[in-house]
Amino acid sequence: MGRYAIRRLLQLVPVVLGTTFIINYMVWQLPGDPFAGRCGQRPCPDAYVTAMREQFGLDQPLLVQYGNFLKNLVTGNLGVDFNSVSVASLLGDAWPITIRLALMAVIFEAVIGIGAGVLSGLKRGGFIDNVVTISTLFLLSLPIFVTGYLLQWLLGVQLGIITPTVTDEATVPELIVPALVLASLNMAFTARLTRTSIVENLRSDYVRTAVAKGLSNRRVVAIHLLRNSLIPVLTFLGTEVGSLMSGAIITEGIFNIHGIGGLLWRAILDQDYTVVVPVATLLVLVYLLANLLVDLLYGVLDPRIRYE
Amino acid sequence: MSDPTATQDLIKGADEPAASPVAVRNGQRGLWSDTWDILKRRKIFWISLVMLIVFLLMAAFPSLFTHKDPEYATLAKSMELPSADAWFGYDLQGRDVYARAVYGARTSIIVGVLATLATVILGGLTGVLAAYFGRWLDAVISRVGEMFLGLPYVLGAIIILGTVAPAQSNPGKATIMAVVIIVLALLGWPILMRIARSAVIQAKHQDYVQAARALGAGPLRIIFKHLLPNSLAPILVYSTITIGSYIGAEATLSLLGIGLRSPVISWGIAIADHASYIRTAPHAMFFPAGFLSLCVLTFVMLGEAVRDALDPKLR
Repeated sequence: MGRYAIRRLLQLVPVVLGTTFIINYMVWQLPGDPFAGRCGQRPCPDAYVTAMREQFGLDQPLLVQYGNFLKNLVTGNLGVDFNSVSVASLLGDAWPITIRLALMAVIFEAVIGIGAGVLSGLKRGGFIDNVVTISTLFLLSLPIFVTGYLLQWLLGVQLGIITPTVTDEATVPELIVPALVLASLNMAFTARLTRTSIVENLRSDYVRTAVAKGLSNRRVVAIHLLRNSLIPVLTFLGTEVGSLMSGAIITEGIFNIHGIGGLLWRAILDQDYTVVVPVATLLVLVYLLANLLVDLLYGVLDPRIRYE
Repeated sequence: MSDPTATQDLIKGADEPAASPVAVRNGQRGLWSDTWDILKRRKIFWISLVMLIVFLLMAAFPSLFTHKDPEYATLAKSMELPSADAWFGYDLQGRDVYARAVYGARTSIIVGVLATLATVILGGLTGVLAAYFGRWLDAVISRVGEMFLGLPYVLGAIIILGTVAPAQSNPGKATIMAVVIIVLALLGWPILMRIARSAVIQAKHQDYVQAARALGAGPLRIIFKHLLPNSLAPILVYSTITIGSYIGAEATLSLLGIGLRSPVISWGIAIADHASYIRTAPHAMFFPAGFLSLCVLTFVMLGEAVRDALDPKLR
């Protein structure tokens, strides 16, 4: 287990380097002037561009720039944006809100998704099963922003149950509907995954043995069936925590939530690459670490899996 | 939006077919005739096929569905609600919402299909090469794939599109469509690479491949004659569903202002243009959103029907 963890960590190194390099290269090196439009209506004076290029190290060779970026990242120096506001403080304001939103979304996915999946898997072909199959099909075909605008319009504008946009504090009750929207797609996946897993395990020998032993239905389902069926579901939920954070860009945009997604989104609109690069890098790191953690947890949850 | 990285779980999260396994009949039967036998009994297949034909007709001959000009604007009618004259009402510029929704089908379907095609070619080719030649080539391709998978989908697309075609810029119609297609394929190929790779690795050690090699067939012949046709089923299933999620992804990018943009007519742009008028003119946004969702639904349903029929585990 320890050796496997170390090997996985080592494997992660080239991926992290590669991904961060792609981000850096894309943002700074591709055609297009990163300082265009920074001086209002008129083109920027050469002196300003030269000074800026020097300040952000763009006059150095590509690999030196990338080395500096890595050094800053490791020492926790995220730099300042074009307005000289520290990126770390921007992140500090936005992080808690996005984490709250993503956690709520995962809870919704787990509770509603697993609940629906278990109910439909246990009674295959029954009424609930059909309802779940059809409703997940529709959820899968609704792009997240369609669900978002629909709920915002229906609940916020027409019925007045929620306020259409979220305030700066982003309290838990305010985030319920955005979290549901963020969770909607994965909720459908979770339900389907749970259902398949339950259906597969219902046919397995250990369930038949448990029933033959004369255990109560409740015990068979709760202790034997559920525990085994939920392993792939938990893996899925775990890997999705990382991607939920970046998936929040759209949800945060629709409901005007001032989280990481909103921060990244505004930075891209303003072409403030000094914010884009560190924020995107952090999101990628979270995503990769979440995947690693899930991989390692897999062995803990399912002792049948042995790492050589 | 539909997240293609999640779609791979769709393949695993399989639905059992409602119809019982096909009765064994005499005579030779291949995978495809078996598949067709199962498919033609499934209601969901026929429903999605009819919807697909309607959408394809709409994309090819939009004038069959409406006689109105999608570009013709009457500002006096701006944001007018649906009426007998215009069933879906008028948009911000006073253009017919229905006509624009009909004409929007073409862009969305072209982007979805071409991006999927590019993904299949790129991912399929790299996957087959990695699996067939193995060793360092496999290692390199797999690692590069992981790097691209490490970029979450929306984030990756935003970074690439945000720099290649920033929100303020105004690239030409063909250029921006090509860029969006390339970006979708660039971020989507690793999943297909993995599917193709594992299919080929499984097939590589089968007797018929060994036999072909013993008969002196070169790598090209083995790959194209033997390995590819036998790896086609999982690729086909994944790509059908992917068309749907790419159509959703294109709309999402257009909504963010970095995908397609006016004067291209597309569902995503229509939704983006009217998102801030949701209180006064919800119809201008929800009708294109409905077309978009139905189109995605079509491909998702079709993909599920094909998967149920092709998956040998469920037979």
